[in-house]
Amino acid sequence: MPEIKDKTFLFDATRCIDCRACMVACSVENKIPMNKTRIWVAGVGLKGEYPNLERTSMVYHCMHCNEPDCLSACPVGAYSKRADGPVIYDSKKCIGCRYCMNACPFGVPHFDYDKGLIDGAFIDKCTMCTQRIDIGLKPACVATCPTDALMFGERDELLNYAHNRLVAQPVRYLNHVYGENENGGTSYLILSHAPFGELGLPAVPSRPVKEVSEEVMGFTIPFALGWGAVLTSLAAGVHIYNQKKEADAKKLEAPEPQTEETK
Amino acid sequence: MPSMRGVFLPRMDGNYLEIVMPSTISRRDFLKVGGATVGAVLIGQFIPPQVAEAARVNGLLDATNSGYIPSMCEMCVWRCGLLAKVDGGRVVKLEGNPEHPHSNGKLCPRGQSGLMNTYDPDRVLTPLIRVGKRGEGLFRKAAWEEALDLVAQNMLDIQQKYGPEAMLFSTTHCLSQFQFENLLNAYGSPNYGTQRSLCFNAMIVANLVTYGMEEPARKYDDLKYIILTGRNLMEAISTSETSALSQAIDRGVKVVTLDPRFTKTAAKSSEWLAIRPGTDLAFHLALINVIISERLYSFRSVNNNTSGFDKLASAMPQYTPEWAAAITDIPADNIRRIAREFAHAAPYALAHNGWRTSNFVNSFQTERAIAILNALVGNWGVAMFPASGEESGVLGAPPQPAYPRVSAQRLDGVPWKYPFVPLKIGVFQEMREAVLSGTPYQAHGWFISRQNPAMSLPDRGRTLEAFGKMDFIATIDILMNDTAWFSDVVLPEASYLERYDPLNIVGSKAFIRQPVIEAQGEGKSSLWIYKELGTRLGLGDFFQYADEEDYLKQQLAPLGVSLDQVRQKGYVELPGEGPDFSEPAWNTPSSKIELFSTTLDQGGFAAVPQWEEPPAPPAGQFYLLTGKVAQSTQFGTQNNQLLHKYSDEPRLWMNVKTAQTLGLADYDLVEVASSAGSIHIKLEATQAIRPDCVYLTPGYGHLSKGLTTAYGIGASDSDLHVTYTDPISGGQALSQTFVTVKKI
Repeated sequence: MPEIKDKTFLFDATRCIDCRACMVACSVENKIPMNKTRIWVAGVGLKGEYPNLERTSMVYHCMHCNEPDCLSACPVGAYSKRADGPVIYDSKKCIGCRYCMNACPFGVPHFDYDKGLIDGAFIDKCTMCTQRIDIGLKPACVATCPTDALMFGERDELLNYAHNRLVAQPVRYLNHVYGENENGGTSYLILSHAPFGELGLPAVPSRPVKEVSEEVMGFTIPFALGWGAVLTSLAAGVHIYNQKKEADAKKLEAPEPQTEETK
Repeated sequence: MPSMRGVFLPRMDGNYLEIVMPSTISRRDFLKVGGATVGAVLIGQFIPPQVAEAARVNGLLDATNSGYIPSMCEMCVWRCGLLAKVDGGRVVKLEGNPEHPHSNGKLCPRGQSGLMNTYDPDRVLTPLIRVGKRGEGLFRKAAWEEALDLVAQNMLDIQQKYGPEAMLFSTTHCLSQFQFENLLNAYGSPNYGTQRSLCFNAMIVANLVTYGMEEPARKYDDLKYIILTGRNLMEAISTSETSALSQAIDRGVKVVTLDPRFTKTAAKSSEWLAIRPGTDLAFHLALINVIISERLYSFRSVNNNTSGFDKLASAMPQYTPEWAAAITDIPADNIRRIAREFAHAAPYALAHNGWRTSNFVNSFQTERAIAILNALVGNWGVAMFPASGEESGVLGAPPQPAYPRVSAQRLDGVPWKYPFVPLKIGVFQEMREAVLSGTPYQAHGWFISRQNPAMSLPDRGRTLEAFGKMDFIATIDILMNDTAWFSDVVLPEASYLERYDPLNIVGSKAFIRQPVIEAQGEGKSSLWIYKELGTRLGLGDFFQYADEEDYLKQQLAPLGVSLDQVRQKGYVELPGEGPDFSEPAWNTPSSKIELFSTTLDQGGFAAVPQWEEPPAPPAGQFYLLTGKVAQSTQFGTQNNQLLHKYSDEPRLWMNVKTAQTLGLADYDLVEVASSAGSIHIKLEATQAIRPDCVYLTPGYGHLSKGLTTAYGIGASDSDLHVTYTDPISGGQALSQTFVTVKKI
């Protein structure tokens, strides 16, 4: 069985010119409605005082975490992490609880408030263009980037490439590959000249939030089940009591054969 | 359930979107005045019988009409190669064609959004004939026969009554331009307007007198030092050149950018010089001064390739860095350092000639100074090369008779007033002025193709006035653009994804633009429209091609390649060895790069660049700057919903401190006024601009209500721009307009 290679984006903030070709390409490729987007430009943009200025732009979309919090928060198992990198989701399973939005440390999944329960597909986010990568194409945003600010490839190789750059050009970059270890590692690696916070990226610990949340969630399910059991038995008790009471009343009125009633 | 009113168009999601024809016309009016084709044109079937079938035969589409078809982008004039992904007969995605040197597999945001131009719900899909007053926006649909007959009849009437010179023809750089020129030359009018004088006439004319060529090609591969003047490559994207600059920066090349704004190019540069507008010439003169006085130039290049060095050298001593510092606001030490660094990096150094330097009446001399700077450091063959011409003798062409002799003067003053401006480029704004003055004679008709003078020419009020002088105006476009809005007949063109155009030569290949889907509605190619019109004008002999495919077959005939082969591959290799860079041939009087221009000398102009002080804004006024953004091209893409989605709101940039002084805050609604007119727009208080300048993104402030996405957004710089023409190059001095800004 061939080894499945972990695919990764690499974004180089020093090369991004904020042209937004990635955003348009994503919108078309994934048929995103005109009032929605899966990519947005984050960060502080212009910084400094005339004439000492800097400009930063960040192509922000799903980080495709190795330990996705959205996945662990989802009560219906709509999310999954593919062995080759992308964090995908099944919109048919989504019940619109928005736990994933709260769980994601990067604020990525967004909820479609225009759609009702019946339409399904409440949550939307970058899928790494699985329909493209499965046939050997690069994701739409990467394929069109005119300045190669976005790259795509195998995680090991891009990590290597990123570290080589940091060594070769120590003045140009901050000495850090964001996403290498953040939140347990992500499939979106970032090189930057500006502090990552200025790109709109949160300072998240290496230990995946998922582990922490799973500890909490570990209590949640027994807790929920426990409460469920208590409430169920209460309800059952009440129901039995009511039925008994009803039957007693009927017996008093007229002793007839009972009809099945379902609530 | 859509009603029978208006036109139904496919939407991105495949549903039908009903749109009402432009303006407030009601169905009642529509029917009352309606012609042959009133009613709905339902594009229900997306299975394009001809296009898909041909593509299937060529193996590009499968049995379900899905696959990739190679063609060419037309979202700007760079013409990237593209691969159109077609699914069930609809274009669903555009990719850059890796085999095209202009795209190298990439497309910019405009290129990526191209399919939305084709599927724009505002598309004009039938010929329209005006029924209301000009500018009222009332049109009725008409059949092609009727519309073409009407255009031809008006053109013949004007020809008969006033002579062919009373008919103006104008178009923008496009692949069918040759056939447009064919039409106007056959008709016999000398009056031809392009957009060039509003863009880079200064660059073209300066290169012609210096190098004997319009624009030498540039190569970034080996560069170590680049000076960018008037070329905002990270926002005015030309995909391959933007990529090349980005790669050069990535390699560590030093980039010095001159711009009064902190553009996205400035942000990626090693050094940003917030130069005072109109003083780029002083900066470059000082660089030349240092390079000559410190003997930093290439002796070999100067001796072998140039003429007039002594005359240049004797004129330069006055232009010291100290002198330039006082004019440009750039410290003398910096100028001296940059001159030395530039010369030191030579020949791997490039002073980019820029495109948007035609902004002051001294811009021609700025371009001359840039051309001379490159020649002095001897970067020919390293950074600069002869451009591979788009015209080539290797392709065939339909036979045609000789054009009639044209004896009338051109209204734009070329060449009788502007002897150096090439005839095919012209001075567009002067043509408009001549319409208004009626001298040397009165024009009566205007035939416009894919151009929008109501937005592009300075001083819009005067352009609308010029429209009023016309007996007849006809416009070809895919949309109801602002000029079409004021036209008598609007002819719908098929979009660039729906039609053929003549082949385009890039390097050693000729690329094809071919339809990737069947034309929607009744859109037709320009090749077809010009031929039909020519035939009706009695000029059929000039259009000896049966249809678009026949035209292309005649082009391919000498190569022995079938059209199917070209359609399949997207291009054809041309015979020969391609451009030869080793033997430069400068088409100048001295056959050298002319540092001292004998042509200019004979014309009575400064033969070596000399400082010309540009006007500056009086107290309380600002330089009005314009410049590109990556999400739009000129005036034609603001209605594209995908670009609209990802565009910034166009506001008037003003330096934060200046705004504070004037008591203005971000998002305040302000009135901006020049001697030409005034606009209302929201303010953007920003650090990214000189305190004595304001900036407006061009292309907004549309007049046509037929552009439902773009209408009502922003304001047009053409309402403010005052018309100033550079006497040598004919370029419109776009930044020589000064404005006041006040809160409303």
